[in-house]
Amino acid sequence: MQESNISAGNLEQCLKCNLCTLVCPMMAVNGHYPGPKKAGPDGERYRLKDPQYYDYALKYCLNCKRCEVSCPSGVKIGDIIQSARLRYGGHNLRDWTLANTDLVGSLASPFAPLVNGVLGLRPVKTLMHSWMGVDSHRTFPAYSARKFSSWMRKQDQSRFDKFVTFFHGCYVNYNYPQLGKDLVKLVNAAGYGVHLLEKEKCCGVALMSNSMGDRARRQGEINLASMRKAIAAGEDILTVSSTCTFTMRDEYPHVLGLENADVRPHLYLLSKWLYKKMERGEVKLKFRKDLHLKIAYHTACHMQKLGWRNYTLELLRKIPGVELVEMEQQCCGISGTFGFKKENYGYSQAIGGRLFDEIGAARVALGAQSDPGFVVCTECETCKWQIEMSTGVPVMNPVSILAMALE
Amino acid sequence: MKFDAVVIGGGKAGCEAASLLLDAGLKVCLVSAGLTMDAESTDPWAAVRAIARRGAVVLRGDTAVSADLKAETVLSVHTECLEEEPLEARLFILATGKYFSRGLLADMERIYEPVFGADVDYIPGRENWYDSDFSAPQPFLGFGVKTDAQGRVLIGGKTMKNLYATGDILAKGAQAASIEAIASEYAGK
Repeated sequence: MQESNISAGNLEQCLKCNLCTLVCPMMAVNGHYPGPKKAGPDGERYRLKDPQYYDYALKYCLNCKRCEVSCPSGVKIGDIIQSARLRYGGHNLRDWTLANTDLVGSLASPFAPLVNGVLGLRPVKTLMHSWMGVDSHRTFPAYSARKFSSWMRKQDQSRFDKFVTFFHGCYVNYNYPQLGKDLVKLVNAAGYGVHLLEKEKCCGVALMSNSMGDRARRQGEINLASMRKAIAAGEDILTVSSTCTFTMRDEYPHVLGLENADVRPHLYLLSKWLYKKMERGEVKLKFRKDLHLKIAYHTACHMQKLGWRNYTLELLRKIPGVELVEMEQQCCGISGTFGFKKENYGYSQAIGGRLFDEIGAARVALGAQSDPGFVVCTECETCKWQIEMSTGVPVMNPVSILAMALE
Repeated sequence: MKFDAVVIGGGKAGCEAASLLLDAGLKVCLVSAGLTMDAESTDPWAAVRAIARRGAVVLRGDTAVSADLKAETVLSVHTECLEEEPLEARLFILATGKYFSRGLLADMERIYEPVFGADVDYIPGRENWYDSDFSAPQPFLGFGVKTDAQGRVLIGGKTMKNLYATGDILAKGAQAASIEAIASEYAGK
């Protein structure tokens, strides 16, 4: 008799209650998707028998993990689906280009003005839509001419005696260095210097969702090896993106099979780290009193799964003059590279619709209909692109808001 | 993070308790490990959402894993997601239900309550937990945590001063906490 559960992802704990099916954002808009229970624990029983039972409709899973958040039995539904896609799923040239954020970023960055200009042209968009399958509604985030890592190497941090290591991620490095500069400003104000990892690769989330597990695993190994060196030197690792953080803490061991138990407790989003330091009285920050900002906070899916939203909310509440509305916890629909694919664009916008309405309602609730000081705050860069494109409301990472609020 | 009261369990009993504590003006945190089916609503998160709208901090999808005790007082509870930051409070309500919601866990030898290690009222010996006649009353359904006459939880035979139990997790015949009375008592402190 089997005395304990030995199945991957707690597969056998599933009692078929279907609560995950009820909360799945894709299920609500797409009849072709079998839903988390059927795609996850149910389908896995078949796939274990014979891989030919792999259903290509699993590509519709957003990997938002909202199924896992709702599961009363602790079944790792999202992990089961994600692992199946790595084992049996495929990709084309379009997926490869979207997934290799690191490689494409390094190629595009030196020619940033040219690349940005060309990607924005109508005929190019039309061509990419029909030839590559990248939806023409989408605009790629602009590439920065100067990488964050090049800027950072010029910064003198020698005046500090305590340090953290910053995992900047692809978005900060190639597209939006200002967010990285904001983190440096905050961490310096807290009395810590900033180091970069000896070697940093993309966390691998886009590779994983496009079924390129081997490459993701190799990049993960490089990141973990560099992180171990930083941790051995007594430094915590900070990040600004909820998805990079979640991927490296939880998807590395659960989906890629990378052992990270020694690294995981040292891997923080800035808000968790800063909350902890301020709560213990180790860091004191002074905030401006004249910052009048009305904020609607959006809980990104992976932030929800990390369970850390309260750290960010508590920090934002410390800024005088900030008015805050916590929005309902729902998916924006883009799910990284998913929403860039033309076959997914309709689903993406249908899922996000409820959130866009809620942002409008939050604006009214805050009395900010015509107020330029109204922003949406979230830790996820792809939520930012989706919300800015779909609502026109500017979206800020809490790191930038906190940096802006410093005296 | 500091609160007046921490309610563990986002099912019917936990949400009702949180609601009464909010009525009394207490600062409440509700830990809801997963969803519970609500026959009255098509929106599965409706009950915990209503609690959040009233100003409580609701930790969705987070699980209480352990507690810090000092003599007969609970100081704080640790959760899986918040890791090193404990939830500190003056009052704790245990409303995690029975086996389905993992408020009680059973292995081959014992039935136990995983967060506090509360005393569980059950018959030793796995063969005594069930009746092989499927439609007969099943003993395991009557097992649950032990409480005193005020609904306070027992740990190691001792009554905890600030830990109360309510809902399905109670053993058959054990006294449930009167949340209204506790709420007004703590609101006055």
